Amino acid sequence: MSRQERETFVMIIRSPEQVPRFTMLKRFPLPRNFGVSRNSRIARGRAWPVLAGAVRVKAFDVYRYDPDSPENPRIDTYHVDLDDCGPMVLDALIWIKNKIDPTLTFRRSCREGICGSCSMNIDGTNWLACTRFIDDTDNTAMIYPLANMPIIKDLVGDQTHLFAQYAAIKPWLRTNTPEPARERLQSPQQRSKIDGYYECILCFCCTSGCPSHWWNGDRFLGPAVLLQAWRWLADSRDEATAERLDDMRGTFRLYGCHTILNCTRTCPKGLNPGKAIAETKRMMLEHRD
Amino acid sequence: MNHGSVRKGAGNWLLERATAIALIPLTVWFVAALIAHTGSDYAALIAWLRKPFVAISMVLLLIALFWHTALGLGVVIKDYVHAINQRTVTLIAMRLVCFGLTAAGVVTVLGILFSG
Amino acid sequence: MDQDSTTPYSPANRLRPRSPNIQIYRPQLTSVLSIVNRISGVLLSVCALGLVIWLIAAAAGPQAYAVVREGIASWAGRAVLFVATFAFFMHLCGSLRHLIWDTVHGFSLRAIYLSGWIVFAASMVLTVAAWVTSAWIRR
Repeated sequence: MSRQERETFVMIIRSPEQVPRFTMLKRFPLPRNFGVSRNSRIARGRAWPVLAGAVRVKAFDVYRYDPDSPENPRIDTYHVDLDDCGPMVLDALIWIKNKIDPTLTFRRSCREGICGSCSMNIDGTNWLACTRFIDDTDNTAMIYPLANMPIIKDLVGDQTHLFAQYAAIKPWLRTNTPEPARERLQSPQQRSKIDGYYECILCFCCTSGCPSHWWNGDRFLGPAVLLQAWRWLADSRDEATAERLDDMRGTFRLYGCHTILNCTRTCPKGLNPGKAIAETKRMMLEHRD
Repeated sequence: MNHGSVRKGAGNWLLERATAIALIPLTVWFVAALIAHTGSDYAALIAWLRKPFVAISMVLLLIALFWHTALGLGVVIKDYVHAINQRTVTLIAMRLVCFGLTAAGVVTVLGILFSG
Repeated sequence: MDQDSTTPYSPANRLRPRSPNIQIYRPQLTSVLSIVNRISGVLLSVCALGLVIWLIAAAAGPQAYAVVREGIASWAGRAVLFVATFAFFMHLCGSLRHLIWDTVHGFSLRAIYLSGWIVFAASMVLTVAAWVTSAWIRR
């Protein structure tokens, strides 16, 4: 999407990479540490100095947490020289790590929006740092880890539970019929049924942005996992449809979704978990007792 | 392993939608009737409630309304009350209140219908 | 390091702070309309109770009904009724949007935002229309 299309005063968002220029509310009107456990409360951190000779400078407020110290998490402010740094938020983080504070810790790999490593919360919404332009961030960019995760260090969250939920839906081809001599065939039309679902990079932006998963993440599977569950339900080669639907029975696993649709709004790959879940619910109806 | 009844998921979800669909004409009718009767006196109201069509619609409205309310509040309680015993007690109490209010409402409407 | 740190409920995880969620997540049309639909639903549950009270007052006779009627006609009563009307229309329009989603239509981001703003606008228009009509009937 071009810079012009991304900047928008329009109220009707067409694509998730659009960042509204005008926001009525930056956060819900709740106390800053609402419902937060004592060891998760965020303290004010330090402001790091501006490097000499920097002309175009931008402030970044970054969530820091050191597991080797007894202190609570804090927000550190860094000033990035935009003329010395690439255009993306990930470039800014790497610049900070190289030039200012080598202890800043974050996940990254491909730097092109395909590996899903650098997913984090930027200015209140979850996205990949490598595909978010610095120009699209607020005056002082706020960099937090993905919402509602146990934090290992700084911006690195513990995704063990999320991957355990992923494993629970058995994300592989399950068949009963004997293996054919060659591939299990499907027509192009059948193959198109998994378009928009197989492309998921498991960055978990959607799941960690889902309020239902915030409150019931131990039981509700979450949009990323349910999108993959639908990917296997929609695949014509998979023969365990009934078993897969059975595994999603109950109040929370699938029906913890109340169609809030933060997931579709935030997917950095433009996928649609909300729609996948609606398709799954429709298939469940055909399968009900 | 899923020990719960399948009704907990798909059944509940479907019932919530069914009662919602039933409520659309019933509530629109009721709100329109209230607006149309703005400023009417007590006698006119009672005469209106005594009409058979109105009485039947009110009974249906009460049943569908409290059924939908019980289902909807049930979802809200299950989302926010995590301790299982607290949750069970709250759910039972809420359902009893909804049932009681339905009964009270239906009896009242029938009482108006068949009195005097 | 911790051998146990890879299980979700290990001692290490209980010591780890949790990143903020609702405290910092940006309110978007998606989440705001969803919570408004829920809040309006809960408000309407209270109104359902009010409906039964109103019916009982009507059955109890003109004196009892006059008390309830005065309450509704007071400024506080009318303010509550106005909020209740708005909640009713928000929940009605929001629920229609939900029912359309249940048929697996309207999930493109553009459709989500368009339908969302339509729900908000329609609710305001319907609320004002209801009250204007009521005032006109009373005149």
